[in-house]
Amino acid sequence: MKELVTRREYLIEQKKKKGRKVFGVFPAQYPKEILWAMNVLPVEIWDPPLTITHASEHLQPYICSVASLGLELIMQGKCELLDGFLFPHTCDSIQNLASIVHDYLGTQKPCYFFHHPTASATASARAFYREQLTGLIARLEEQLGPLDKSALEERVQQGQRIVRVLSELYDLRARGELDASNVEFYKIIRSGEYLHPDDFLPLLEDFLSSARGSGSSGKGVVLSGILPNPLEMLALLDELGVRVVQDDLLCCGRRLPASARSAHDPLQALTDSYFVMPPCTTKNSPMHARVNELLYKTEQSNARGVIFYIVKFCEPELFDVPQVSGELKRRGLATLVIDCEVNQNLTGQMVTRVEAFAEMIS
Amino acid sequence: MSLMKRFRYQFMKDLGASLIMHLSRHTRRSHARKPNPHFGPSLKNTRRLKQIMARHYFLSRYAEGAKPVAWVTSGAPVELLRAFDFYTFYPENHGALCGAQKVGPQICSVAEEYGYHRDLCSYARIDLGACFSGITPVGKLPKPDLLFASNNICQTVVYWYKVLAYHWNIPLIIFDTPYNFEKITEKEISYMVSQFKEMIPTLEEISGKEFDYERFLSIIRSAREASITWGKVLGTMKARPAPMTIFDAFGHLAPIVSLRGLPVALRYYQSLLLELEDRVEKGVGAIANEQRRLMWDNIAIWYKVRELSDIFARHGMNFVTATYTNAWVETVAQLDTDYPFESMAKAYSLVILNDNLNYRLELMERLIKEYQVDGLVIHSARSCKPYSVGQYDLKQLLRKRLGIPSVIIEADITDSRVYSEEQTRTRLEAFFEAMEH
Amino acid sequence: MEYFLGIDVGSSTTKAVILNSRGEVVGYSIVQTEANSTEAAERALERALFQSNMEPETIKSSVATGYGRISVPFADKKITEITCHGLGAFHLYPGTGTVIDLGGQDSKVIRLGSGGKVIDFNMNDKCAAGTGRFLEVMAARLKIPLDELGDLSLGAQQEIQISSVCTVFAESEVVSLVAQNYSKQDIIRGLHTAIVNRMWSLIKSIGIHGGVTMTGGVAKNKGVVLLLEERLGQPVNLYDEPQIVGALGAALLARREA
Repeated sequence: MKELVTRREYLIEQKKKKGRKVFGVFPAQYPKEILWAMNVLPVEIWDPPLTITHASEHLQPYICSVASLGLELIMQGKCELLDGFLFPHTCDSIQNLASIVHDYLGTQKPCYFFHHPTASATASARAFYREQLTGLIARLEEQLGPLDKSALEERVQQGQRIVRVLSELYDLRARGELDASNVEFYKIIRSGEYLHPDDFLPLLEDFLSSARGSGSSGKGVVLSGILPNPLEMLALLDELGVRVVQDDLLCCGRRLPASARSAHDPLQALTDSYFVMPPCTTKNSPMHARVNELLYKTEQSNARGVIFYIVKFCEPELFDVPQVSGELKRRGLATLVIDCEVNQNLTGQMVTRVEAFAEMIS
Repeated sequence: MSLMKRFRYQFMKDLGASLIMHLSRHTRRSHARKPNPHFGPSLKNTRRLKQIMARHYFLSRYAEGAKPVAWVTSGAPVELLRAFDFYTFYPENHGALCGAQKVGPQICSVAEEYGYHRDLCSYARIDLGACFSGITPVGKLPKPDLLFASNNICQTVVYWYKVLAYHWNIPLIIFDTPYNFEKITEKEISYMVSQFKEMIPTLEEISGKEFDYERFLSIIRSAREASITWGKVLGTMKARPAPMTIFDAFGHLAPIVSLRGLPVALRYYQSLLLELEDRVEKGVGAIANEQRRLMWDNIAIWYKVRELSDIFARHGMNFVTATYTNAWVETVAQLDTDYPFESMAKAYSLVILNDNLNYRLELMERLIKEYQVDGLVIHSARSCKPYSVGQYDLKQLLRKRLGIPSVIIEADITDSRVYSEEQTRTRLEAFFEAMEH
Repeated sequence: MEYFLGIDVGSSTTKAVILNSRGEVVGYSIVQTEANSTEAAERALERALFQSNMEPETIKSSVATGYGRISVPFADKKITEITCHGLGAFHLYPGTGTVIDLGGQDSKVIRLGSGGKVIDFNMNDKCAAGTGRFLEVMAARLKIPLDELGDLSLGAQQEIQISSVCTVFAESEVVSLVAQNYSKQDIIRGLHTAIVNRMWSLIKSIGIHGGVTMTGGVAKNKGVVLLLEERLGQPVNLYDEPQIVGALGAALLARREA
């Protein structure tokens, strides 16, 4: 596997050599293709490796580490490279964080806000989503100049190709035909959080062809939650011979549409794509939809159980866990619920729980 | 709906309820408290308020099966539901009541036993705990036919109502109000108006009634009037001395939140307004010695309302305004029978918690000036993220811009287990010293 | 006849159990873990060998479990205390469907399926309240030996509510209750009730299935056991040495894997 350059080096290169603007994007759902078409590279801010020293001046201790670390990144001056921020309306903490950054922090950088509908897929929701897309474009055009329609078409198609490759990778993994450790798999998938699609697509295709194989015969689990962090958790699962065979993670599996949409009009394609994303707590998907999704995923991948891997203080996830895990348990699946801070070192207790779970499913 | 149950509900409404009110008069007399020298005379209307709310909860025991029952979030556009004659129950109001009666931790623990994390909103934990165990100080909660939630006040209510929807296998209608990061747009308003139109068939199906547009308009009018009157009620506190304290107002808030659109809410505020105007004329203050005037930010610390009120009164400090009580003034007063759906969309979208923090800063500055506020007490409520995130900044900014001293109390709305007596006492002492200058 | 060793290195105590091929306990020991897990494991082994009059070479294979299991270099395999407690309890009481373990510094509830296999579990390992440590702190504060708490609580006359959820705050509460002249028996019973309450949500999360077996040091406290039985509405199985059940399970696994 080719060594990936550091994120910072990559961003500098993108700005200097490719003349792109770089936007810091907070979790989670947003139309990347529009940014690509306007020659902007979105860089997602999920888990910067920092210690919280400044963010606590603005955020109480009961705010999750994703929001805190994101703010910390800005406050430590590490966002100087960026040309703007985009805040999707993911949850209350990110909502208010967006206002703090935009209204109080004095960053002088343009801030964009993307509100995806959080009620069911009604006609009004669809119309609104499309309107959010055109609204975002109009606002971006003020900063960046007019959007080239054909560029958008091209990038939407590129996005669809990426979805197809990702889906194939996920399928291979679910069938046990992928030769890659949990750590390797997520390193590659997550590099899409900052790589330009021109670089991400070939990386994925490379991975697909080189990793196709017989895989390992270890027992499989589905990982559910926000993000696969810390990396040590994935490494521990690898050590124990437990394969993550599917995921219901906000930053990965939940942003993979069930099927690539092919409406001719790019905005229609993007709208359709949003409404076929897997159910998610940040979209208020009903409980039964989440239960069915997890049942489907465990069945399709022959997983023995689900690890609910929750970021501490994450309300959307914590409200769903009891009923969803309860239903899975009733169906005979093994479940484990762990909550931890982002970038936290694995404690002995967490290791014991995961090991016990591995013993349970063996 | 059963005919028998409908008959029983009607009987209770007409006869049974007054019996309860009569009985409560007796118990009130036997539990009369000694008058507190730091306070002025208590409001006569408080008794009426208790009767109204007692009656409401009493009737809720008979609503199930007699009327279509809906559980509603405090920021939801209930006027639409009233047009279908839903009996409405407000879990947040129930949560506040449980907090005030100091049973918050007990009921929260039930939810925690079912796997609901301690870090989750305590209103939600109380509601889920009450549903799972039946434990409630109000006797019996009416099982809903419909859940009606708007995310204008927070996203958490929807996560919570989803749990209820799955638990009972009943429909949940979500009113999605896009956050006003900048100014509200026409497209957002039309999205919300479309949602209203989409809701109507579901509401008709569950209630078994057709949408009565004229009735809806009269409810809009009533809600608007009640909100304007509530605004006038709060406005009396601009007087020096203020005739009421915000801690009282937290209680008097109940009708505008949970009975809005019903004639009883309007009548109540008209009556309360008369009493307050009379006090202003006579110079009667809520506290005996009003030296300093304060503003409260965030929801109340329900299990400490009386205690805190007492502590501040002893220091000659009265709370004359709050962002929380103000929430049902400005926006609902914008309801317009000429454009009922558009005005509802705007009213419910422009609530304080759905607007960017600059808007909140401006509102707080305006209230500070209008009510001649000398200091600010900020409740950093663990349960309430949209209210609490940004408070640290607001504190600094108000200090810088208006020279207003403030204190932050880290606590929670109903879960007293996270309240630190020590920490609060120390911080308040420092605040009192700062205010003395 | 072959012999198998199980070592359970807990944060308070380390236990060793030697089993023969028939699954009978031929020797065991319980030592204080103190600062060094490896040394503690060696001491526990030495003691168990001494007690059973055996030589180390006769041990065919061994399994280490517990918090310090990674520090037992001579163990052939390391398996978590959840699996070991489950198997140990099932071996002793074949009808066991639920294991409630109240250890020195953590507590757990384990659900067993057929053959003593773990099918679900939950742990409280973040907080001392609800563990043996809680009682240790309180016993020291009351100046009563830990092993007398159980008997004393049986003489309680009234219910006392310890409202603090935290061990540190509960300790202050105990001091103030003593100052208010509440009897030590009543206070101790109140503390036992607090522990059972703490355990209750853990128990609820797993549910009670089949027979209930209690393990861990706190199971030696008859006051806690009685309160728990009352709350559960059924009797619990109790081994004479409830602390060694984990090590027993480890030894059984050593036998199985050998």
